[in-house]
Amino acid sequence: MRWLGLALVVVAAATLMLGVADLPPHGAPDAPVHTHVGARYLERGVAETGMRNLVTAVLLVYRGFDTFLEVVVIFSALVAVVALPRGRAARPDDGDDRPPAASLTAEGPAQQLVSVSPVVAFVVQLLGPFIAVFALASLYRGHVSPGGGFQSAAIFGALFIAIALVQGRERAALLVPRGARVWLQALGPLSFALIGTVGWILTGAFLGYPADAAAYALREAMVVAVEVGIAVGGAVILAQLFMAMEG
Amino acid sequence: MSVVIVLQQGLSVLLVLAGVVFLAGGTLGLVRLPDLYTRAHAASKCDSVGAGSILLGLLFYGGVAFEDLRLVLLVFLVLVSGPTTAHALARAGFRTGLPVGRARERDDR
Repeated sequence: MRWLGLALVVVAAATLMLGVADLPPHGAPDAPVHTHVGARYLERGVAETGMRNLVTAVLLVYRGFDTFLEVVVIFSALVAVVALPRGRAARPDDGDDRPPAASLTAEGPAQQLVSVSPVVAFVVQLLGPFIAVFALASLYRGHVSPGGGFQSAAIFGALFIAIALVQGRERAALLVPRGARVWLQALGPLSFALIGTVGWILTGAFLGYPADAAAYALREAMVVAVEVGIAVGGAVILAQLFMAMEG
Repeated sequence: MSVVIVLQQGLSVLLVLAGVVFLAGGTLGLVRLPDLYTRAHAASKCDSVGAGSILLGLLFYGGVAFEDLRLVLLVFLVLVSGPTTAHALARAGFRTGLPVGRARERDDR
């Protein structure tokens, strides 16, 4: 069994190295990846879309439908998790290799396994505001610099989970108002569809953005609205996924 | 090339190399050590010393500028979050009664 594993690793590594050796030199202008649509994006992206950042131009304009459906996929993941029937929480005596001390937690799934470490609580309190500011900056500057709605959602979601681990789920849940939760978790697809429709009215194409220089402020506002929808919707979805997990 | 630049870049290269050594050692420890506690110990070396000294090395490479304040912030973040993570892992393992030194047998099943 050991030797079979080793042989598999060697064969896989050799195949990968052969493939890497066959790649065109790094940055070669005639590499296949640069001769397709990439060249057109670089040449005419700014003029065609009016975006200040080519990544944003590709993400929201050239591949707008792809990004739209990506947001829908994330939302669908939450729907799938919520639709799952809630199983009985795993009890410690079900597993055979658990140490006996774990049976202390047999009272119920809501019981916390281990009391919160004061060190972890302090560090989350210390770094929390910085993480929140970073998520906001990544969201606000995302369409002109690295970052953006998806990244911001991941940072906000991670911050929520950190807070939930330290302060408890009940207090963390207050961050997402109960009444607005239904709408917030669908905010990504909703804002995308709304802005896409606005673009339809303005330019005649669903998910279109006005590209002329005069519409600068309008275009920026549309892009930021989409990014905010992705960020807030994604963060709430991550929080809901965490809350849906028992124990 | 002036002496200052040679010293600066030499220091930078030394720090990055030290970081690489710690990263390699930490990774090896993560794979080879027997249980959660020793593995968390090894892995936290990657974060704090490994990534930390690589970041410090990058700080010195081009001469220190105001923009490099971001690297200092990153070093701070890494120094705070890495050990906290290791602490939380080891503490959770201990409080739930995870035995010391038995993980390897289970891995080989």
